[in-house]
Amino acid sequence: MTVTQLSPAPITLRRNFWRGVLRVLRRKPSRLVGVGIVTLFAFMGVAGPLLYPSPLPRDDHALYAAPSLAHPFGTDFEGTDVLALVVTGTRYVLLAGLATAVITVALGTAIGLLAGFHRGRWDTVLMRLTDLQLTIPGLPLLLVLSTVWKFTSPLEMGVVLGALGWGGIARAVRSQTLSLRERGFIEAARGLGLSTRHIVGRELLPSMAPYIAMNMLIAVTGAIYAQVGLFFLGVLPFDANNWGVMLNLAVFGGGALTSAAALPYLLAPLLAILLLTLGIVLVVDAMDEIFNPRLREE
Amino acid sequence: MTESFAPGVRVRDLTVVYRTPAGELPALAGVGLTLAPGTITGIVGESGSGKSTLALSLLNAVQPPGRIKAGSVDIDGLGDVVQLGGDELRRARGRQVGYVFQAAQNSLNPLKTVGKQLLDLGRSHDVADLPALVGEARALLGRMGLDGGRVLDSYQHELSGGMRQRVGIMLALVLNAHLVVLDEPTTALDMITQATILRIVKEVHRERGLTTLIVTHDIGVAAEVTDCLAVMYGGRVVEHGPTTAVLGSPRHPYTRGLIRAIPRLSGDIDEARALPGRPPTLGTIPAEGCVFRERCPLRMAVCDTVDPAPAAYGERTVACHAVGQPVAPAVRKEYV
Amino acid sequence: MIIGTGITKTYRQRGSVLDGRDVLALRGVDFAIAKGGAVTFIGESGCGKTTLGRIVAGLETYDSGEIIIDGTPLSPLRHRQRQAQFRRVQLIHQDPYSALNPTRTIHQTLDAPLALRARRMGRSKAWAQERARELLTLVGIDPGYVLPRYPHQLSGGMRQRVVIARALTVDPEVLVADESVSMIDVSLRLGILALLKDLRERLGVSVLFITHDIATARYIGADGELYVIYRGQVVERGPTETVIAAPVHPYTQSLLSAIPVLRGVEQPGPDLVLPTEALDESHTDTGCLFARRCPFRTDHCESERPSLGYGEDTPQEHACFHPRPRSVIPVEVSA
Repeated sequence: MTVTQLSPAPITLRRNFWRGVLRVLRRKPSRLVGVGIVTLFAFMGVAGPLLYPSPLPRDDHALYAAPSLAHPFGTDFEGTDVLALVVTGTRYVLLAGLATAVITVALGTAIGLLAGFHRGRWDTVLMRLTDLQLTIPGLPLLLVLSTVWKFTSPLEMGVVLGALGWGGIARAVRSQTLSLRERGFIEAARGLGLSTRHIVGRELLPSMAPYIAMNMLIAVTGAIYAQVGLFFLGVLPFDANNWGVMLNLAVFGGGALTSAAALPYLLAPLLAILLLTLGIVLVVDAMDEIFNPRLREE
Repeated sequence: MTESFAPGVRVRDLTVVYRTPAGELPALAGVGLTLAPGTITGIVGESGSGKSTLALSLLNAVQPPGRIKAGSVDIDGLGDVVQLGGDELRRARGRQVGYVFQAAQNSLNPLKTVGKQLLDLGRSHDVADLPALVGEARALLGRMGLDGGRVLDSYQHELSGGMRQRVGIMLALVLNAHLVVLDEPTTALDMITQATILRIVKEVHRERGLTTLIVTHDIGVAAEVTDCLAVMYGGRVVEHGPTTAVLGSPRHPYTRGLIRAIPRLSGDIDEARALPGRPPTLGTIPAEGCVFRERCPLRMAVCDTVDPAPAAYGERTVACHAVGQPVAPAVRKEYV
Repeated sequence: MIIGTGITKTYRQRGSVLDGRDVLALRGVDFAIAKGGAVTFIGESGCGKTTLGRIVAGLETYDSGEIIIDGTPLSPLRHRQRQAQFRRVQLIHQDPYSALNPTRTIHQTLDAPLALRARRMGRSKAWAQERARELLTLVGIDPGYVLPRYPHQLSGGMRQRVVIARALTVDPEVLVADESVSMIDVSLRLGILALLKDLRERLGVSVLFITHDIATARYIGADGELYVIYRGQVVERGPTETVIAAPVHPYTQSLLSAIPVLRGVEQPGPDLVLPTEALDESHTDTGCLFARRCPFRTDHCESERPSLGYGEDTPQEHACFHPRPRSVIPVEVSA
């Protein structure tokens, strides 16, 4: 009888986890705002292109129109609504950002864990590899790559940015692993003969979860800046509907820095980037408390 | 230097509260304690007993979220420390009251030599004659069996734990403070080093005419050096009196239980008995009645409702309802 | 039964590539831990007692020597087999706060090794669940209260009991307790010590106790053996009560002299031995390792190293040219 009473324990635990997450988020209004912003952008990314006809309608009579009720952020050089451009452009930006973050964190964590946990030869080889990655100059390489590769898919973009960005996380995860593996509970797990998979997956990773989650979110913002920057510089073709392309056209085509007409066209994507980054930063604040049972339960 | 320099200290009805999500909780509840001039007093207690909070209160240095809610700490030549603030307080710390922090072994700045830190201390207290200060520091270190010149030129990592502890004592005394508070002076030190430090504390105390307060969880340490002993539990001083008397014939059931829970090197080992239950934390201190009643073998009905006030029995102060009553031999037997 | 012979361990101190200095942590130590017995290592920090304990628990490698577990010498074994042997020795860490994973409940912590064991022994999951409750009850805590909780929700004493319960999941033969009560509140310490003592009697588990507090060693194993270790060498070894009551090595005598006297209850012993200097690892290694600090040294001590043995008919082994029993421990004041 006692046994059957015990088995639902993991389930109640999981429910407690999400209740805990909710409690952590409710502790500060800023976190709720952050979650709201991120949810809004996620919605735009998923549903944005479905809200507007494709291709977006042009209005030849309203080039660089001033903000109005019909066009809250005015129109661009072809008379297309700027807000619609921002909304439909979200998917590419978010997808590329997420892909980058997933690749960065997965590669960085795996390599850092492997190097830190096994030490010795593994460590030496993997860390030299990491050093190598860290010395690759990212931007020039991207400029060269873009001459042969068009990055039409956001995932391609993510793969390249991810492959260029895992070094820092690998080093950080390695040093965390090195300090954690000396902790009593890891030593005890080894002494009890538990498998390496259990030790890494169940004991080490959860202890680093806040750290990894934080890095992941920060990697998303980094990736957004990077790709928007690349498009803004104009090194990539314009066929992708992208915030960076908008910035480029506003500055170099519309003269937004000198004339006021194209100013809303410039500000709209900038505002989108700022808002998204702000949302992510506000959420990052809660990570430590979400993954630390002590802070979560209090 | 004569005995007349040593200040007396009178703590009256001191209440210190910590702000928590569950409201303000008392870490010290109306504590009274008198340190006679020129004596070494020990405060012993377990974690959460409030002993460190009491020590910090002598400097009015309780950190937020804690605050001194009521009471006074009267130090001769300084007045009520609780009323002091700002610059006055800063000058008193170091000049009149020397404090050797818990884990003093790690409280030195790793990037500066001991000498540099000594000069910083001197400058922040507007010492005009810095060379004299260095001379004094060297003499103090020499007194404690160290090569003063070498130590002042050293960084923290070049000194052993025992040496760092002595540097901590030197920094507390160099500005000529006559009231010294040592918080856990020997934790993390070896037996032999601990014995050396305790001997030094005793000698320096006598030679410089100090009033010394030692806060520790280790009854052995307190027994070795102190003249008077205050036993704390759950934010209260439950027993206070001359050390040999408190240890030799403890009257509060907590003191008795604690002494019996310490294994010793001679005598029957099976006499040692664990104290049942566990010490209260800030959140679990009962709001009314005696704080020790859950673990007490002498618990009575009155203990549930009335917090026993400290009462004087000769040189001793004990806060227990059961102590005032004539003790039947059968009950005593439990503790012999 | 675990026997170690001639265990050595050298650490290379970080210096420049060219002049790194070797520090001898263990200089050929022999030990034997009988089934159900109690062995205590005492000494100053850095004397090698913790390193030796970790070697016994299989958490640290040794440079030379041999460890024999129940008649099986370990050196011919492969890594995996050796690890399996070492599983019979479990370490109880000093710090119950870092010894439990803060992100896992006590249920998860105990279930991992028990589930593994259940698989190996062909038992059911239900057996593992039941065993977790049994073990917690054995170490004196209420399973219903503890199992669903995280470590931070428990007191230090409870955590240390959970750590002991976790070590017991693999039915070990030896528990290595390295300063296992030093971070626990004074009034709760004796409870943990009594538990270890009780496990010796009830389960026949041997206890290797590593401490600087000799009185706790006496409490756990007055019938056991005491090893006094100084700079990687055993300088005195014998029945615990004998070594405490009549130590013959000056180092043991200075360790025991340093123990605070519980004035009012005790008074200092008739003899008192103070080392002439503080510990300095850079002392030369010729002659007796303790010679520089020894108040009784002679020229002989500085030229030749004494080895462990029953010289001059002492009841315990010692490594001293001039062994003389002295009574240094505090004695109870007769009422």
